[in-house]
Amino acid sequence: MKHVRKVLQRRTILDIDYMAIRKGECVVIHGDNGAGKTTLLKILAGLITPDQGVFTLNGIELTWRQAFRQFRNDVVYLHQTPYLFDRSVEDNVAYGLKFRKQNRAQVQKKVETALEWAGLSDLAKRNARDLSGGEKQRVALTRARIIEPKLLLLDEPTTAMDKVSRRQTISLIGDLANSGNSVYIATHESANTYQSQRVVEIDQGKLI
Amino acid sequence: MDSLVGASAEALKLLLTGDREIWEIVSISFLVSFRAILFIVPPALVVAFVLAFSEFPGRRYVITIVNSMIALPAVVVGLLLYMLLYSSGPFGGWRLLFTQTAMVFGQMILAFPLLVAMSHVALQSIDLTAWQTARTLGAGKIWAMLTIMREVRFGLIAAIVTAFGRVVSEVGCSIMVGGNILHHTRNIPTAIALETSKGHFEQGIALGVVLITLALVLNFTIAIFRGRDMARY
Repeated sequence: MKHVRKVLQRRTILDIDYMAIRKGECVVIHGDNGAGKTTLLKILAGLITPDQGVFTLNGIELTWRQAFRQFRNDVVYLHQTPYLFDRSVEDNVAYGLKFRKQNRAQVQKKVETALEWAGLSDLAKRNARDLSGGEKQRVALTRARIIEPKLLLLDEPTTAMDKVSRRQTISLIGDLANSGNSVYIATHESANTYQSQRVVEIDQGKLI
Repeated sequence: MDSLVGASAEALKLLLTGDREIWEIVSISFLVSFRAILFIVPPALVVAFVLAFSEFPGRRYVITIVNSMIALPAVVVGLLLYMLLYSSGPFGGWRLLFTQTAMVFGQMILAFPLLVAMSHVALQSIDLTAWQTARTLGAGKIWAMLTIMREVRFGLIAAIVTAFGRVVSEVGCSIMVGGNILHHTRNIPTAIALETSKGHFEQGIALGVVLITLALVLNFTIAIFRGRDMARY
């Protein structure tokens, strides 16, 4: 993407000249709070419209809207505090499959496998709202993983977690990154927390 | 005092013996209000959703206008509708005046601001991340909207129940555009007004008992749903 800019209340919160999103790459976007990490991820996820920017997809130059239409189903963004729907853990995990033409048996099988992967099988029938912070983050990761996105955007995925939950979440993220997905992690913590191939520093909306 | 006790006893007798006229009035009341709520809920929810989740110039003014319209007097709505549906009015050709359809229209207008305002409050209680989560997981706009509505379902049900309570007990609009015609447009509130003016307190009290019972049931229902809504947080 080139010349991506976002201005909010006359303040430039993101101003990126060039950034490449490569297939299968795990990248940490490191910067202080308010540096523009979340805005960058949300633009990539299609949740915020940039004021300007050109996106090149398979060699074709597109506007953000055109690009978003093409990659909408391939990108998942995970909030810093994930929102889990007021339903069971398995229903939360199955949510995204509804939009991907899967039959009931396929959904059931995928959900079981995904829950097992995250060590959440015992919690399958529990209401997702009743889980701890770490468990919620794992459900959110599982919910994202099950739809096999080409690009997974994680916003501060381990902030304010206890040691055990943190270790489990980092391990799951490592798994996701090793399975061929592109994983972009925004964090203000040490960039070494995650096993990434590349660290991108961001400050005052600009990549350094 | 004796006449009040006597009238109340007679009223209970009318209700318990299944007096045809009384129960016909009750059924007209419920049918008209049920249809009004059924037709107005979908557009009201869409408007509430747009107000809660989108930004557009003048949004705050629209919210203020909707909130102000909650206090719209039923008799004023009745007057406006009467003027529109009167034989020489702009929609006089439709011949809707003094019909149940006209009463349904009137009650829809009365219920709309209340439904929008209460649904808007319920929808605002949910974080924007809920919408973004649904969208990022692949939900289209309509499906994401339905997902959000499911999240605040107890608040929305409370809004619908409250709106039903408001319209089923209003008298001003129904009497003006319905005309209080026996077997056709006479509902509980208009019948109470008429019977009381004639000094027939028994029928008025009997219908009043039905309305008070309904109010109690509705309020208990709202309390249950509010309780469930609060328990989620």
